[in-house]
Amino acid sequence: MEKLEQTTSPHRKLLTAAVSSVLLSHGFDSSDWDVLETLTEMLQCFFCEIGQSSKNYCELSGRTEPLIADVILGFVEMGINFTQLSEFIKQHKLQVLPTLQPQQQPKQLNMLQAGTKQPLPSHIPQHLPSFPDPHSYIRTPTHKQPVIDYEAIREKCAIQKRDVEKALTKFLAKTSQTHNLFENDEFIFPLITCKTEFPPYLNALMPQDQIFDAEDLEYKTEEINPPPKKRVKTEKSETKTEGDGEEEVVEEPPEEIEDPNKVDENSSPVVDIDNPYLAATKLPNKS
Amino acid sequence: MRKERTADNCRPYKLAHQILSLTGISFERKSIIGFVELTVVPLRDSLRHIKLNAKQCRIYRVSLNETYEAHFQYFDPFLDICQGDANTRALESFNTHHLAAALKVDPDNSAGELVVTIPSEAAHLIAEGTALRVGIEFSLEQPQGGIHFVVHPGDGTPAERGVHLYTYGHQNSSRLWFPCVDSYAEPCTWKLEFTVDENMTAVSNGDLTEVVFTPDMRRKTFHYSLTIPTCAPNISLAVGPFEIYVDPYMHEVTHFCLPQLLPLLKTTTTFMHEAFEFYEETLANRYPYSCYKQVFVDEVDEDYASYATMSILNTNLLHSAVIIDQVYATRRAMAQAIAEQFFGCFISMQNWSDMWLPKGISQYLCGLYAKKCFGNNEYRDFVRTTLMEVVKYEEEFGGIVLDPSQPPAPLPSSGSAPGSSSHAQQVETNFYFSIKNLHTMSPTYIEVLHKKSLLVMRMLEHRIGLELLLQVFNKQLSLASNASGQKIGSGLWGHMLISTNVFSKAIFTVTGKDMKVFIDQWVRTGGHAKFHLTSVFNRKRNTIELEIRQDATTQIGIKKYVGPLLVTLQELDGTFKHNLQIENTVVKSDITCHSKSRRNKKKKIPLCTGEEVDMDLSAMDDSPVLWIRLDPEMTLLRSVVIEQPDYQWQYQLRHERDVTAQMEAILALERYPTPATRLALTDTIENEQCFFKVRCKAAHCLTKVANAMITWAGPPAMLAIFRKLFGSFAAPHIIRQNSFQNFQHYFIQKTIPVAMAGLRNVHGICPPEVIRFLLDLFKYNDNTKNRYSDNYYRACLVEALGCTVTPVVALQKGNITFESLSTDTKLVLEEITRILNLEKSLPCYKYTVTVACLKAIRKLQKFGHLPSSPTLFKSYAAYGLFIDVRLAALECLVDFVRVDGKWQDLQNILDLVENDPDPGLRHKLVKLLIMNPPFDRAHRHRLDVPDLVDRIWMNINGMLSHDTRLRCDLVDLYYKLYGSRRPFCVPVAELAGLLKPQKEEDRRKSHFNEKRTMSPLPPPPKHHQPDPIPEEMEMDIAKEPAIKEEDLFSAEPKMEFFKSVKQEYYSDNSVSLPGLMGQGGPVGFEPGMFKKEDGGSKHKSADPTKVKKKKKDKKKHKHKHKHKHEHKHKEKKEKDKDPNKIKVKEEETLSSVSSTPSPTPHSLSSAEIL
Repeated sequence: MEKLEQTTSPHRKLLTAAVSSVLLSHGFDSSDWDVLETLTEMLQCFFCEIGQSSKNYCELSGRTEPLIADVILGFVEMGINFTQLSEFIKQHKLQVLPTLQPQQQPKQLNMLQAGTKQPLPSHIPQHLPSFPDPHSYIRTPTHKQPVIDYEAIREKCAIQKRDVEKALTKFLAKTSQTHNLFENDEFIFPLITCKTEFPPYLNALMPQDQIFDAEDLEYKTEEINPPPKKRVKTEKSETKTEGDGEEEVVEEPPEEIEDPNKVDENSSPVVDIDNPYLAATKLPNKS
Repeated sequence: MRKERTADNCRPYKLAHQILSLTGISFERKSIIGFVELTVVPLRDSLRHIKLNAKQCRIYRVSLNETYEAHFQYFDPFLDICQGDANTRALESFNTHHLAAALKVDPDNSAGELVVTIPSEAAHLIAEGTALRVGIEFSLEQPQGGIHFVVHPGDGTPAERGVHLYTYGHQNSSRLWFPCVDSYAEPCTWKLEFTVDENMTAVSNGDLTEVVFTPDMRRKTFHYSLTIPTCAPNISLAVGPFEIYVDPYMHEVTHFCLPQLLPLLKTTTTFMHEAFEFYEETLANRYPYSCYKQVFVDEVDEDYASYATMSILNTNLLHSAVIIDQVYATRRAMAQAIAEQFFGCFISMQNWSDMWLPKGISQYLCGLYAKKCFGNNEYRDFVRTTLMEVVKYEEEFGGIVLDPSQPPAPLPSSGSAPGSSSHAQQVETNFYFSIKNLHTMSPTYIEVLHKKSLLVMRMLEHRIGLELLLQVFNKQLSLASNASGQKIGSGLWGHMLISTNVFSKAIFTVTGKDMKVFIDQWVRTGGHAKFHLTSVFNRKRNTIELEIRQDATTQIGIKKYVGPLLVTLQELDGTFKHNLQIENTVVKSDITCHSKSRRNKKKKIPLCTGEEVDMDLSAMDDSPVLWIRLDPEMTLLRSVVIEQPDYQWQYQLRHERDVTAQMEAILALERYPTPATRLALTDTIENEQCFFKVRCKAAHCLTKVANAMITWAGPPAMLAIFRKLFGSFAAPHIIRQNSFQNFQHYFIQKTIPVAMAGLRNVHGICPPEVIRFLLDLFKYNDNTKNRYSDNYYRACLVEALGCTVTPVVALQKGNITFESLSTDTKLVLEEITRILNLEKSLPCYKYTVTVACLKAIRKLQKFGHLPSSPTLFKSYAAYGLFIDVRLAALECLVDFVRVDGKWQDLQNILDLVENDPDPGLRHKLVKLLIMNPPFDRAHRHRLDVPDLVDRIWMNINGMLSHDTRLRCDLVDLYYKLYGSRRPFCVPVAELAGLLKPQKEEDRRKSHFNEKRTMSPLPPPPKHHQPDPIPEEMEMDIAKEPAIKEEDLFSAEPKMEFFKSVKQEYYSDNSVSLPGLMGQGGPVGFEPGMFKKEDGGSKHKSADPTKVKKKKKDKKKHKHKHKHKHEHKHKEKKEKDKDPNKIKVKEEETLSSVSSTPSPTPHSLSSAEIL
């Protein structure tokens, strides 16, 4: 319906033709374009109104397609006597309007075509639409290829790293106290002053300059769970019995307990190992 | 003679048991309150005095069997070594006094600082064989040595700050922290108790029997019991908030580290159990103790120190698995510490002079373990390096006598032997320190002595075979472990001591071989052999005429060798060994060659390993000998100079399979800068079969060869090799991403840049392309994919940058500015500053990069690219930075002082030497000063001022009684600067004339002179002086005790002198005499004894300044006030020393003696008067 608004639309043309033929049949030879347009507009509005209300009636009664009865109701609604319609048809010899000509497809302009279209392959029926312009489905090099050359990447990587480091050190040098290598010239090669920190060994032994995987920081032991050495322990008991062994009798029994927790020793070697340093501190009265 | 009197039987009593209980350990005040109880078994009924060792301790009370209180006296001769000889500044006379002082308190000389007199009412307690308990209550306040409190400033509880303490010491120094018999030869059983804060752990020797809370529940007491007899120097203690890690493989082994380091501890000790297993298997003997503890602590002076059942190690040995270089040092240190458990702790020595045995054996065992761990090449190279170090030291300072206690038996057969031995003795006296006591020997000497012991032990292996040598060890261990189970009454504890004689007897028992000659030749005589080999090929007879000369036998440290010597000839037909008998200084030998020369033929040549290799023989002359080697197995202590043409060296480098031979060839090839040498070296560097150290060495050699070659075709040396090995595939000029999986490549990757940086072009500067190359290495360094840290590699790169620096061409004299730098230098400098700054926020392991940067900056300064300034290094040398960084900065500072330093700068360094909180740093700093002294001897220099002489002298003479090693270090430094005579810069006082003749006589060992030097100048008799400052707390001391001490002091040293110098003179009563003296009567008359009586007051005014310096005792203060001459240092020292004084009346120290250098006659007479 919105399409009717366009003057160029075929419906409008047809309406104009209809109005013109009615005018002819009423004896007009010619008419002004404005008048004709006005009449056409009126007719169009009328049809729209009729159609609208017919549709409403049709939907009101639960249908989707209007019947003649709906149209009649529409007329009634608008207060138009449609009985005169048949008279009108009989009285006036109406010229039969020419049927609508199928509109000519406007020719595509070739100017914007990019590339040559690919013809349809033989297995595709010809009626199916042809391929679009190739640029719409073939990748086109719109920018430079990313560099995958080893040398260049290393170069770039190195430069980037260096830039980051430079910026960082520059920033740090500007925001902290510095030494200068040249007298009176603080800005050439400033060296950040060192700070004392306690304990001094911590940062040195646990460096942060690189992040390593946790497993890299420990040795991979092939035999992860070797049986703990008991030889020395038996030796211990020997020497003890030889010497004065009464003090450490406490330590002997747990020897047997060791085997079960051999397995999880590495995870938690603390629990059951017979080692005096892991024993609980005694209360004073016990001594 | 020696049989009668050794360190283990010289005391009139035996020690059976000792209780050590430290209760009041305060980290805030750095003080300790303690109690010891020695169970002493007198060996005779007449025992009146018990001499013990104690230093720094304030002793409150000595009780006998808890019922009687005993009187005691205390003195420490090290507080003023040159008693009467205060004005001397010559090491010659210091040396004499030093030895005298050491002997005066040497437990092996039956002496000690602390003399306990048994009161007459307690005399009934003394009976031969009846145990007597001597209890001593003592305290330590701010101890300066022996025990170290690590208290870092900071917030938080002591435990959070990682506050800890541990004992340390140079040789036998346990006396610094508790009274004991500080001898290696007096083992006893121990009960140890330590009460510490609740969150602290006390680690000590023996089995931890229990830990008990104190009644207030805020502290706990650790009870240890050590049932295996152990000598006092092997007792130790570490207290701190340690993290505890029980070894997962051996639950008897416990590791301790400081808070937060537990992950590193676990990694570091992963393979420690292997060392245990290795030793037990090798020795076929169980580990002698029931437990073992490793404690990693901070600020320790040596990497490891082994004590009975525990060792104290440097916390900086810890590492994670991404670190490569540290692993070698750490494993070796841990293995050595364990080896010393067997020999050193469990088996102690009979005399200190037997030290070479436990040290040598433990190092030898550790060497065997290292051989298993790191490979045979590494081992052989280690032996070779050690040998070279020993040779170097001996040639500079004199032959090292491993066991000086007994002269070698004169060889009756050969006429030259006595000559050589007397020569050796001569050498021995040539040292500027005395080698007759552990506390007077230069630490460097001891270090080299240990190395030499290892070599001698290895020589023994060659003489008697590995199996038998191990059997000897096994025998010693078995005997000792048998003895260790016995009670003292069994008299078997002596089996736990080893001595040269015992050892050679054991060898004889096991092998049937008499090692006397060997022992005399290598253990009781110092020096090494030096061979010079030349050879000529005689074509007609097809023989090779060898000539082996020992020309240098008169040189210092070198002795003539007589005996068999192995010469190996590599000929075309194989390797042939020839055993030559060396009898004279020149030995000529014609050796018939096995093969005929076949010129220019390629042929398979059989090597000594049995393999056959192709060689290009085109370089050969008509001789069929490819190369010659002398003593290839290093079975002698020798240095060897072989003369052979360069192509022979090249063959040796390319084809000899022995690492030592390759190393020697590389050394020799430095002298032949030819294209053929270049090729041989290049091939070696590229040879993947070759030991990596040889390849690295070849790289450095190639640098020298390239610099010496007149024309060098092609790109800079090694550039191509490096690109081939490490350049990336697509772009060889860009280094690959780091991957250090292959350690050989890793070390080569580290070495080549440094070697290349040493290249110089015709203008004497580093070629610009090398600098570009190095800068590119920095630029493209990418460690992201590496499983190992690249910190050492980066440090090497920085070092390489430093090596490229060459002295600036002196264009303008004025200020050095940025504009005056060359482009290359600017680039280098920019790189160094950037890296150094980056380290501030991203520090690497052990700050290796910072260390390298500092050294590089110093180099830039030194060569005139930067203004020479010490400020940067000073800030890096401050306490609180990592030790390696501090040491690097100090190295730079020391260098600066030498080149541009002012007196003020040198003083700053000396301040550190005297006062730095880190004892290890003080020692290493003096070592740095010795290596790079502020000036050369006898060269006029602005720093060669009397103040410096006085300052060092003051330190060695009295300020360092608590730190033997530092004192001896400073003696080394003094010698380096001034030699053993009086320094030139010190104005010769009128005394100088007087001293000179003495010195010469001294050298002749006249004991009369000794006496004179000890008390030549009668100083003011102190008793004549009214005490002007009565507030002095010990002022009230009666004269009597003072006199007693003086008696003791004056009598003792003299007696010791007689004993040591002329044994026959006083030998009989040498032991009992002091006791008698203590009762207050003069026993003998000595020249000058009564001199003072008349001249005392007069002398006083004439007294030279130095005389008063003795800071020994309380009296000191008095003197200070009386005489304004007191040195400033003295005052400070005195304050420090106050704690040393003992409050009890009787304990008066010797100071009175020292302040009045010839007090004897006076005090004696006054005693009589009284």
